Amino acid sequence: METRTEAMPASSATATPLRSLVIAIAGSGGDGVALIGDLLLKMAAHQGLYGILVQSYGPQIRGGESAVVLRIGDREICYEGEDTDVLVCFRASDLKRFKGSLHLHDESQLILEEKDPGALPDWLGTMKKPAFRHPFATWDGDVEVAGEPKNMMALALVCRALGWPESLAQQALAERFSHKPALVERNMPTFRKAYEAPNVPQLLQLKGHGVPLVVETGNEAVARGAMSAGLEFFAGYPITPSSEVMETLIDELPAVGGRVIQAEDEISALGMVVGASFGGVPSMTATSGPGLSLMTEMMGLSSMAEIPTVIVDCQRAGPATGMPSRTEQSDLYHAIYGGHGDFPRAVLGVFDVVHARDVMFRAFELAENYQLPVLVLSDAYVAQRRQIRDGVTDRRDKPRRWRWTPEDAPARFQLSEDQPVNAFRVPGTPGGTYLAAGIEHTEDGNPSADPGVHQRMSEKRFRKLESIAADTRGWVRTFGDPKAAKGIIAWGSSFGMLSEWIETHPEYRVFMPEILHPFPLEAFTEWRKGLDETTTVELSYQGQFHRYLSSLTDMNGVRSFARSGGLPMSMRELDEMLGLSATRKER
Amino acid sequence: MKPKDLRTELLPVWCSGCGDFGVLKGLTQALSDLNVAPEKLAVISGIGCSSRLPGYVKAYSFNTIHGRALPIASGLKTARPELTTVVVGGDGDGFSIGLGHLPHAIRRDINITYIVMDNGIYGLTKGQASPTTELESKRSRGLAGGDEQPLNPVLLVLSAGCGFVARTHAGNMPHMRDMMKQAIEYPGFSFVHVLAGCVTYQPRNYSDLLLQRSYELPVEYDKTDLGAAINAVRDGRFALGVIYKRPLEEVSATAGAASEEEWTPPDAVLKQDLPTE
Ligand SMILES: Cc1ncc(C[n+]2csc(CCOP(=O)(O)OP(=O)(O)O)c2C)c(N)n1
Ligand code: SF4
Ligand SMILES: [Mg+2]
Repeated sequence: METRTEAMPASSATATPLRSLVIAIAGSGGDGVALIGDLLLKMAAHQGLYGILVQSYGPQIRGGESAVVLRIGDREICYEGEDTDVLVCFRASDLKRFKGSLHLHDESQLILEEKDPGALPDWLGTMKKPAFRHPFATWDGDVEVAGEPKNMMALALVCRALGWPESLAQQALAERFSHKPALVERNMPTFRKAYEAPNVPQLLQLKGHGVPLVVETGNEAVARGAMSAGLEFFAGYPITPSSEVMETLIDELPAVGGRVIQAEDEISALGMVVGASFGGVPSMTATSGPGLSLMTEMMGLSSMAEIPTVIVDCQRAGPATGMPSRTEQSDLYHAIYGGHGDFPRAVLGVFDVVHARDVMFRAFELAENYQLPVLVLSDAYVAQRRQIRDGVTDRRDKPRRWRWTPEDAPARFQLSEDQPVNAFRVPGTPGGTYLAAGIEHTEDGNPSADPGVHQRMSEKRFRKLESIAADTRGWVRTFGDPKAAKGIIAWGSSFGMLSEWIETHPEYRVFMPEILHPFPLEAFTEWRKGLDETTTVELSYQGQFHRYLSSLTDMNGVRSFARSGGLPMSMRELDEMLGLSATRKER
Repeated sequence: MKPKDLRTELLPVWCSGCGDFGVLKGLTQALSDLNVAPEKLAVISGIGCSSRLPGYVKAYSFNTIHGRALPIASGLKTARPELTTVVVGGDGDGFSIGLGHLPHAIRRDINITYIVMDNGIYGLTKGQASPTTELESKRSRGLAGGDEQPLNPVLLVLSAGCGFVARTHAGNMPHMRDMMKQAIEYPGFSFVHVLAGCVTYQPRNYSDLLLQRSYELPVEYDKTDLGAAINAVRDGRFALGVIYKRPLEEVSATAGAASEEEWTPPDAVLKQDLPTE
């Protein structure tokens, strides 16, 4: 959907193996660990290196432990990797909350506090290289006291080990704190002192292509993708992990003439979107599971009154409040089936940051063309990550709603065999007044309780899905050897892990739908031919995706690997599940 | 355009004698007085007998879902400010299921007019108690909530900061026409409380009883005085007329402050990684 800027080398297409480095930094709330990750990623992007950053917090809401995992490489990356190549840790005790997300190997390099007496936990694994110890903390006897910022020191040590010049850090800091240049100056001496520390070990020296790249979060990509598709109105209610969609739009949409409202709740948020779109304006909202539950009645209205809406759901884990900052793929049922009565809607899935823009364009295309709600399922894992991506130029041909003129059909909801939608009557158009209604209605929009009308109108509305299915039959991504005898079916953010996993598993092929509903069944049936063994992989305790597929096609003999979310699926976990010995990555 | 030109061909489903007929007439008269063209008009409602009204007005009308007319109208008016936007509905729709939206629509001060046909009952669902049903009436008829105090919707919108508040009676055509006209002309959020009868689920003489409890605000009443407005709506009687109108020079001041300079916490460098919930 989007056009990449010409100057960009086709980095992801080259066959050379990925050279990458996984850097984990663990600290406590006040250590500024996230900032180190942010800056390193920025610096990588400046040099034309690719990367991804995921952040994880301890369970405490504020001030608890926090860690970032950052992976930098010379090709596009949308998976944070398996093993920790570099671990920076100010206190061994900070590590306990991150069990399962950090794994050392023989060549891992540790950077630790010189005086930290704590032992590293066993689950972390072991390495052969000696740890590098640095005096991060300031001590008064045995008591740690406030001192120079540890994050500046850590940043300097990692830069030095990577062979990155000081000027690169200075530039990244200056950009990050453009409104506070004095602050940067104040911190540079700390940076320099650590940068010049003796015996800093050397890490893999990665070389970028030199063309500066863009750092974007999943939520930013969703917001900007929507803007590039013609978004003019947004209403939302804050909720983790989707809030940055609204925050990005507050910063960027009014500047191009759009409007943003923070609503009093999600019912109102989607209500406002329905209202704005009733006015002919491309509109959307973004939320997470709890908000989607509240939006359900408005989804029905949007579909019934044939008003285009785009609803982004950044899925988080669990029902009710669940685990707000954790990822899961368990809103699939709700997206596809949620709501009372029969009504059509389309559901798309987001793979990663690069894909997010593309998906948003398609979402608006479907919503505007077919006048129904379109749900975009992102998740915490995509929403909250930062990813380095090629620059993009927006498409010029934005989706456009078919606007009614007096030459068009005399009724707003005219029944027709060959036309799934009617021209949209935009308020302000003389002669076009009509009644839109959530009540079942006749062709004119007038309320009706006639069972025949209800049947014919249901047929009319559901005919849209047939057209959408025809338009979107190619909206799938397949990879691996198409003749391989074993197959994996997955959706959404598993894309990053699987697209890398497949490189070391030539006996497999992978199928990932970009549209989940209506499901691209033809492509799926074609793809699965000749498979001896097939497995669905998803983060849902009930196996919603697997069960959904079972309702569409014969899934006998297909294995389901479904578990509740929390952490995203790793390659190691997938290997274990498939009964393959854990394969160590070559670097 | 004459009032009848603002009517669609659809015949109202209301019981004969329903107070909502008067409201439909008063509204089309006011819109006619103001020369609002049908294509520049949006009439939005929720669900209820009263919420059927948009279907009878020639406009870009939208009969939405129970209690949700205000968010939908707020989105529409924000996206298409040039449209005259009127929201209509009942007491159950606006003061029960949809009440949560009301103070926020008022806070945003979006230029829409909200007309509530308060018949003190759920008409459409056949006579259950609404938030404005009188205690005595609930007790004598065995309706739910015989111990629950009724709500004072006018006091509520005043306290939420509504800039234009009027009350009228569905049987008094000239008064209704005038109140609606003034409300639509007001450049911010305006609220019109209409005392309406329900001939089916309220006593036959309910409309008259409402009228008996009503009085017109005297000419010397200062409608720009919020304190006076609050006093006028605190006793059990119904003051009719413009109860409160914020002086126009104060309207823009509340319509959203200019964005302030970007704020960053002083220890921004160290505290970048606090999670948000
Ligand atoms: C979510 C939801 N709950 C309940 C209803 C049923 N319902 C329809 S109208 C109504 C109350 C109507 O009362 P009011 O708003 O005062 O309108 P009136 O009929 O009196 O004019 C109710 C409870 C509904 N349509 N939707
Ligand atoms: S039931 Fe009451 S409110 Fe409804 S139409 Fe009849 S009189 Fe009017
Ligand atoms: Mg009522």
